[in-house]
Amino acid sequence: MAVTSKYFSGAEKPHETQHEEEDDPRQYLMYDPKPRGEMNQMVMESMTTTSWKFWVVFGILSVLVATCFFYAWGYMISEGLWVAGVMRPSYWGIFLVNTVFWIGISHAGTFISAILRVFKAEFRRPFTRAAELMTTFGLIQAGASIFMHLGRVWLAYWLFPIPNERQLWPNFHSPLMWDLLAITTYVLGSTMYLFLPLIPDLAMARDRSTGWRKIFYRVLALGFRGTEGEWRHLQTAMNFFAFAIIPVMFSVHTIVSWDFAMAMRPGWSSTVFGPYFVLGALHSGMGAVAIVLFVMRYTMKHMDYFIRKEHFDALGKLMLIVTFAYSYFFFNDYIVQWYGGDKWTDILLHWLEAGPMAWMFYQLILFNIVIPPLTLWNKKIRQTPWMLALIGLIINVGMYWERYLIIPVMLTINRMPFTWKLYEPRIEVFLTIGTFSMFLLFYMIASRLIPLIPVWEVQEGQMTHTLRKVGKTHVPTVSEFE
Amino acid sequence: MSDTTLLALFEDIDPAANAIEKLHEMGVTDDKINVISGVPIAHKMLGRPHPRTNVSRFSLGGAIGGFMFGLFLNFGTPNLYNVPVGGQYITPVPPGLIVVFEMTMLFALLATFLGVFLDSYFPNYRPLEYMPEISDGKIGVFFKCAKNEQKKFMDALGKLGAESVKPVEAQQL
Repeated sequence: MAVTSKYFSGAEKPHETQHEEEDDPRQYLMYDPKPRGEMNQMVMESMTTTSWKFWVVFGILSVLVATCFFYAWGYMISEGLWVAGVMRPSYWGIFLVNTVFWIGISHAGTFISAILRVFKAEFRRPFTRAAELMTTFGLIQAGASIFMHLGRVWLAYWLFPIPNERQLWPNFHSPLMWDLLAITTYVLGSTMYLFLPLIPDLAMARDRSTGWRKIFYRVLALGFRGTEGEWRHLQTAMNFFAFAIIPVMFSVHTIVSWDFAMAMRPGWSSTVFGPYFVLGALHSGMGAVAIVLFVMRYTMKHMDYFIRKEHFDALGKLMLIVTFAYSYFFFNDYIVQWYGGDKWTDILLHWLEAGPMAWMFYQLILFNIVIPPLTLWNKKIRQTPWMLALIGLIINVGMYWERYLIIPVMLTINRMPFTWKLYEPRIEVFLTIGTFSMFLLFYMIASRLIPLIPVWEVQEGQMTHTLRKVGKTHVPTVSEFE
Repeated sequence: MSDTTLLALFEDIDPAANAIEKLHEMGVTDDKINVISGVPIAHKMLGRPHPRTNVSRFSLGGAIGGFMFGLFLNFGTPNLYNVPVGGQYITPVPPGLIVVFEMTMLFALLATFLGVFLDSYFPNYRPLEYMPEISDGKIGVFFKCAKNEQKKFMDALGKLGAESVKPVEAQQL
């Protein structure tokens, strides 16, 4: 759009002293505009260009999903839960670990898209959709893990308040019922929030497609043209969603934490579990976003234009802040229990520090609390995509261990020592591989069907960014068009 | 004389705003003008009236409906289907707040989403006046004028920087 070049015209010749690469404003996406048609073309090519490597990975993941997810789950349904490792005292095994993990992953999408939108953080623009997709796909895996845990999954409707003759009615005092309500609200809310800003990009794809893609995008674009009214309705709704989804996001993981904290068990009964879980969710979610951005940048065509070092840098800073907050709550939770003097809690803590799962406990601390601040303070590390992705991976391993320790391991140490038995996962391992494979497979399919870059948001941002001459130099400025 | 719909395509906001001003001077009222763009452009920039939306009303209505439903779910249904559990209150307030909050938010979000559909007449698969160039960043100004004045408008907007001004027919998107 010529609008872009006009508003950017002030940046044509920055001051001579800014020749060094790191001072060049064009390293930032918002100060390096391209015509809209070209950006559209780039995003369309990123969806339609696939290499043989894509199909190889796609094939492997499809096989993994078919065997580790559908076959393994079908086998468990036909044989019963005895094929899983859950038994007294650890009735909640990896299924619940996966549920909490995936709900945690889903939090980053909302955080990046909603909170950064509310605060008008401009760096969010090119990767909001990739993060939002993570929310939706993560929640699908969380839901699947809960259903696996149910065992008799066909009776899941008993959770719903449906008048019946069996005298069964959901107990709304139960945190598990709150889970159902909160996760349902979050799944529906985040999916709608994903879809609304997608409509203009689907219309763009409709205008540039033929064949089955044309039909697909025409149906999904709903007849959007970009009239003043349509934009107004869309923006009003998006603003509302951005504010409303934030408390929903906080409520979801707080309620998940209450599944544990409401029980009078050693290690679980804690007043800080709510915020501790929310921060843990953001911690793992941010790490996952870093991995997704890295994969997108290096596997999808033209993504190096949209996803730049600045985005990894900004994400790295966010990860650093979240690490500090997470560490604070981790220590807060630990120290209060340590001082508490409860006999069973003391045994549990000693068991964590010196028992058979101590390696997991120390890896948790190393991966979540030690490595991120030691590395992320460094700008060069933050701006190196593979390093940030690696840190994201390390954080996610640490966060998975954290959930593993909280659920099956803490269930092991209870007030009845004769029941103590370490949990050993069995078919759950395959089902876990299945959920991870399905998450990746969904992402791969989405990358071929959905514009992962919100082009209109990028262009809108580029229109609002200009360089302004102040004294002897040009400084980046941003204006509000709303 | 019957009316015709003309579409003027612009590269930039400034000439589009000038063209709209010119249309006003030439007697075309705002209700006969529609601006279509690939990015949201504030009405003030184009000198257009503030577009009206009912989406926030839908949100409010949804929130109220959800609040009432949450109350019914938590404080109404347990009395209809009484399940005594260990001497607990049948309808305690603190857990009820969670149920009411979630239902309020769920219904508000659903109503907001529905509001966009209703206000924008989505889905709409009928033929519509449109140019695919708009999603490539052009700004389209649609307006209705009398057929015999078509030439006059085309000349005026052409002078103001329109890339093209031509009659437009509804087409399948």
